[in-house]
Parts: sequence; C-alpha cells; structure tokens
Amino acid sequence: MSSLEAGADDFAYREASEPRALTPASPRELKRLIKDWRAGRATRNVLQAMSDAYVAVFSAVMIGAMVVNVILKAQRTIAQCTSVSCLSARAILPWAAFAAAVALALAASRLFGPVLASAAEGFWLLDAPISRAKLLRSRLIGAVLAAFLGGALVGALVAALTGSTVIEIVVWSAATALSAAASVAFAAAQQGIERHVLTRVATYVFGLLGVGALFSVVGVAAGWFSFGFSDERGLEIGLIMIGASGLVLLVSSVLAALRLGRIRRARLLSGGALVSGISGAFFALDIGLARDIVVERRAMERGHVHPRRGKGLGLEALVWREWQRLWRFPQPLLVLAGTIVVPYAADALGMSTLTPVFAALALFGATIPLLGGLRVLTRTGGLARCLPFSLARIKLASIAVPAILAGIWAVATTPAYMGFGDGAVERTVPDASLMAIATAAAGLLAAVRWTQAKGVDFGAPMVASQAGAFPPGLVTNLFRGFDVCLLTTAPLLLGLSAMWSLLIAAIAAIILLNSMDAEALRARQAEQQKLLAQQKKQREEAAAASKQRKR
Amino acid sequence: MGLEIRGRIASMAKRATILKVSGLRRAFGPNTIFDKFNLEVRTGEAIALTGRNGAGKSTLLRCLVGADRADDGSVEVCGNAMTETSPEIRRDVATVIDDLDFFPDLSVVEHLDLLARAHGIADPDEVVDDVLEEVQLVPQSGQLPGTLSSGQRRRLALATAFVRPRKLLILDEPEQRLDTEGVAWLAQRLKSERQEGLAIVFASHEPELVETVATRVIQLGAPRG
Repeated sequence: MSSLEAGADDFAYREASEPRALTPASPRELKRLIKDWRAGRATRNVLQAMSDAYVAVFSAVMIGAMVVNVILKAQRTIAQCTSVSCLSARAILPWAAFAAAVALALAASRLFGPVLASAAEGFWLLDAPISRAKLLRSRLIGAVLAAFLGGALVGALVAALTGSTVIEIVVWSAATALSAAASVAFAAAQQGIERHVLTRVATYVFGLLGVGALFSVVGVAAGWFSFGFSDERGLEIGLIMIGASGLVLLVSSVLAALRLGRIRRARLLSGGALVSGISGAFFALDIGLARDIVVERRAMERGHVHPRRGKGLGLEALVWREWQRLWRFPQPLLVLAGTIVVPYAADALGMSTLTPVFAALALFGATIPLLGGLRVLTRTGGLARCLPFSLARIKLASIAVPAILAGIWAVATTPAYMGFGDGAVERTVPDASLMAIATAAAGLLAAVRWTQAKGVDFGAPMVASQAGAFPPGLVTNLFRGFDVCLLTTAPLLLGLSAMWSLLIAAIAAIILLNSMDAEALRARQAEQQKLLAQQKKQREEAAAASKQRKR
Repeated sequence: MGLEIRGRIASMAKRATILKVSGLRRAFGPNTIFDKFNLEVRTGEAIALTGRNGAGKSTLLRCLVGADRADDGSVEVCGNAMTETSPEIRRDVATVIDDLDFFPDLSVVEHLDLLARAHGIADPDEVVDDVLEEVQLVPQSGQLPGTLSSGQRRRLALATAFVRPRKLLILDEPEQRLDTEGVAWLAQRLKSERQEGLAIVFASHEPELVETVATRVIQLGAPRG
C-alpha cells in the first residue's frame, strides 16, 4: 500500500519510539492523483468545450482547408516550371529546410531543456523519493514528438511549394521530421550529462548549412555553378537521410532515457519557468514580451562578459555601445546575412513581383534582434529618463547601427531587382537601387514599429465582440510591423514607382521616430486641454461676477 | 539668536528653487490620492515622504518625474515645466523609481560608463570606479544585470543616479532590498549629497534614513484607523 492510500489511522499519533517506514508513491500514482485533481476541478468536458468553441473550430477548419488548397495549387503551378531556377530550387530548398529544421530544433532544445518541469512539479514532485527518470519520460517523448510533427510540416510544405512530386514530398517530410526529432533526442542526451558544446556546435553547423543551401539556390539560378545530380539521386539521398536520422534518433533516445534521472532540478525548472513566461506572454498576445524573456535568458546563460570601455560623448556614446553590443552577440548578423538570399531566391523562383514583399518581411524579422537597445529604451522609459536627450534623438541613436546594416543589405540585394532569374523583369541600376532602398526601409521601419509596441493594456476600456470583450490593442498587436511592411511595399507590388514607397517610408519614419512621438503628443494634448479648461473656468467666473455686479 | 535665525532665513531665500509643485492632484476613479499638493524644494534640501502603504508616495514621485500624469496642477524643475521627454529635465533630474530597466547584454560597469559619457563626462573611468566601489559592485562589474541579485540590482540602480551630474535626486524607497550596512551607507551618502547642495525628494519607510537625510518630512495619507 502506498502512502497515498493510507487511512486516517495511519497518521494518528503514536508513541512508538521507532519511526515507521513509509512506502513512497510511484510516479504513476502521483500523476494519476494530479490528473484526478485537475479533472475534478474541470467544469466541462472536451466535447462541451468544443461545442462552445464551434465558431473557432469551423474557422480553423475553413482556414486550414483554404491554406491546403493554396499550397496544392502552388505546388501544381510550380511543378510545371522547368527553368534552371525552378529546378535548382526544387533540388536544394528541401535541403535548406532539412538543415533549418535541425538547427531550429537544436536551438529550441538548448534554450528550453528540452526536458523541463514546472515550478509546481519541481516543488511537489521532483523532491519526492520517486524515480525522476520515470517522471520525466513522458516529457522527453512529448518533446521528441512535437519536433517530429513540426519537422514533418516544414519538410512537406517546402517540398510541396518547390513543386516536388508526391513521393518526394513524403520522403522529404519524413527525413525532416526524423531529423528534427533526432535533434531533440540528441539535445536531451546532452542535457543528461550537462554538456551543451556539441549541441551548440551542431546548431551553428546546421544553421550555416541551411544558409549555404539557400545561397546555392541563388548560385545555380544565376549560372555561377551547377549541381550534377538528378531528381532520382535527390530521392535516394532523402532516403539515406531518413535512415541516418532514424539511427541518430534511436541511439539518442536510448541515451537520453538512461540519463533522464541525472538532470538537475534547477535545469529542469529553468526551462519550465521560461515556458511559463513565454506562454503567459503569448496568452496576452505580447510577442515582444516573449522575445524579451528569451533575450534575458540568453544573457543570463552567458552571465559574465569582459567589460569594454565606451567611446564618444553624448549620443555618440549610445551609438558606440550599440556596435559593441552587436559584436558581443553577433548571431543576428548571420541571420541578416542569410536574408540577403531572399530577394534572389524569390526572383529565381519566378516570383519577381512579390520579391519586395518577401524581402521586406525577411528583413523585418532579421532586424528585430538588432533593435534590442531601442526595445530596452522604449519599453518602460526608466532607462531613457536617465539619458539627457529627447526620446526622438534616443530612438535615432538606437537605430543608427541597424540603419547602416539595412543600407548595406540594400546594396547587396540591388542585383536581385535588376532582373536576376529566368523571365524576371529587367530594371536599370537606379531603378533597382531605389527598389532595394525602399524594401530595406520597409523592413527596418516595420521592425522599429514592432520593437516599440507597448504591451496590451488590459486596464483600458474593452471592445465588445461576438467572442466576448477584449482590449483594443490585443488584435492590432499581432499585425504591428507587418502593416508598415505591406503598406510601404504596396506601390512596388502594384508596379508603381519606388519613389511612392520611399514617400510612405518617410512618413512612417516621421511618425515612428521623430517629433511626432505619441507620448509627447499625448502630453501636449493633455496640457492644452488643461489650459482650455482653465480659460473656460476663468470666463465663467468673470461672467458670474459681471452678472452679480449688474444686479 | 535672532541674528542667526535671520541669517538662516536669508540664506534660504538665496538658495535656488529646484522643484516647485503647485496644486497637484491625482485620482484613480473615485479615489483621490492627493489634492492641492504644494511643495517647493531648494538646493541643499531633502524632503522625505512618509506614510503607510498606498498613501500615494510612489504616485506622487511618479508625477514629479513625469512617469505619471497628474490630473491637475503643475511641476517645475529649475523653472522648466515638467515633461518627461524634455532633455533639460532629464539632464537635471536623477531618478531611481521602480521602472528602471537595464540592457540585458551590457555589464554593470558598461552601464555606468554609458550613462557618464551620455552626460558628457569625457573621462568617466575615475567616477565610475568610485561609484562602483561605493555601491560595492566591483566584483560584479563584468556581470550582466540578469545575473545580479535583487539587492545588487538596487545598488546598480542607485549607482546610475550617482554616476551622472544632477541637481535634483528623486528616489522611491531607496532602502528597498539593501542590507543594514547598505542602508547606513545610503543615509551617509545622501546626507553628504544634500550638504553639497543637491536637492533630494525621497519616499521611505526607514526611520534611520529619514532621520539622517531629511530636512523636512511630509506625512502622506491619513493614518490607518
């Protein structure tokens, strides 16, 4: 009998001198007990909840069907393309997806654990005299399964969108799924022996392979070099990758399972705390906060740095510090370099009309990590208050380095707009340069807008909707940045002059960075309202006094 | 005696007014936190705000630094109307309230170096080292803020106020999370700052700090009944 099944008499006071040996509960019993508590507190079952959420379920099914339809249509259209660009993309992009899935799975695993436990589990279960390995086994299986499903989705999507055949889609989906799952299992095996060097090295290696694969697409499409393998060979390689990934998955899973009991409590809890923080941020649809949590965790992992002396005075000191911070954590530069491929790849795939949009969106994503300084200086205002400059000047100084990098990015992507792939629109150098600058401005300003976004104010008046009341910023927060991106590149999409895009970018820049700072505007508005109210009061008092005098 | 008092009054009158608060009002819905609040702080004066939790000390300080907007009244610092984003105000007022943030990837010493340089101190090494030693963060100078304990973070926050030029110092419960030794150091430091002519407004629950530093004590809110 376990202690959980003990009757009331077992806990009665005894005078016996020797302590009674208690039988600890098994992990399964504890889990069953927790499940029972949770189920006991639920007020409705899954079916009832689903019937309540039928609108959401129907919407999800409809949107899902539309997305699948679009993907299938795109697959059929692109499958007919037999140009060098299309063939190179079809042969190499699944490789890039494969490498990216592995790199992403390894990076996420290293960040979260991958095996983790919540604070409650840490307090109530991990200290209990039970087998930690048995308790954590389901966590390991869950993480590996999640990676498998994610990998399958990415692999299938990329293979389908490059016009691969059904069999190729299946093979690449399986290979990417198994490799992602194997990566998580490998990271878990490393977590068990408290070593992360191999995981870190593998992350960078596969990340670079992914970027290299993307560059290869461009190179082949440009005719700089060619790969001699046929479609059949690609399929064979895919099958080999399935075998190799499966083997790594098997070995790593066994090792990880054997080492589960050795993972330190602190390590398990830190991953759990990170997940709970991020999930809290996502529940509030505050993606900026989720990113802040991850950035803070990375900095904490590093913990200590070799201090560097600053340079310059005034705003110059702030700009120099931005450079130094970037050199200290240079990973975002690699991502930025990787996005240079996007306009070339889009052009190579015959999507030259959409190239500015894809490129701006890619730059938007890559620039956000470069704007860490702006984020810190705008999220609470406390640090900015310590600096003797207006907010507009602080913002300008904070984005100086990312703006220079965006400028370099624009120069590097200009050839993509000059007519790169087969059948692409050919443009003169000045036109292509203007397009590249407009695209870079769109990406940079979108990132600035996203970075400056304040969290949702749940204290503000709610907006009524059919799905219940919600704060006004909740939904718009999701589209922050994307709006600037699409608005700025819209003229390019419509075939208008790039000058229109630059004009929109200039207006956006004035609103986001310059004197039209929302906070200052609100302050000015409040001050004016206060003055008006005072004047009105004075007028009323004067009128009342004159009335009295007349009487 | 009469001459001494007259002399003191004359020297008070000579001292420049750093902070002038007139008719300040702040209410949250039906709850009025403070109303018609007036205050004038001159150089070399230290005002301690005391009172029970929820009396409005932090709200008042937030209004004084511009982090919160008062419903009525005005705040002037060195003759300039308070606007949080005004560079003049930011140059003159050093604040340590609860919203201070740090760059996650800049070390302790780099934060202080940046602030000193931003305020125009050309060779900040000496002042940064002095402040670091004073707040006892020399061993942590290369650490990133995320790895500091809550007490060390508080010391870093205080250091950000001491490493830069200032005319007015506004502190919200600066003794928070400091050990006994830290509170004693802070009391002496603030006292000497006041004696050197700095104007200070601070909220505190620490009698030792209030007694050592304050030239005037303002009790906010009604006592708990």
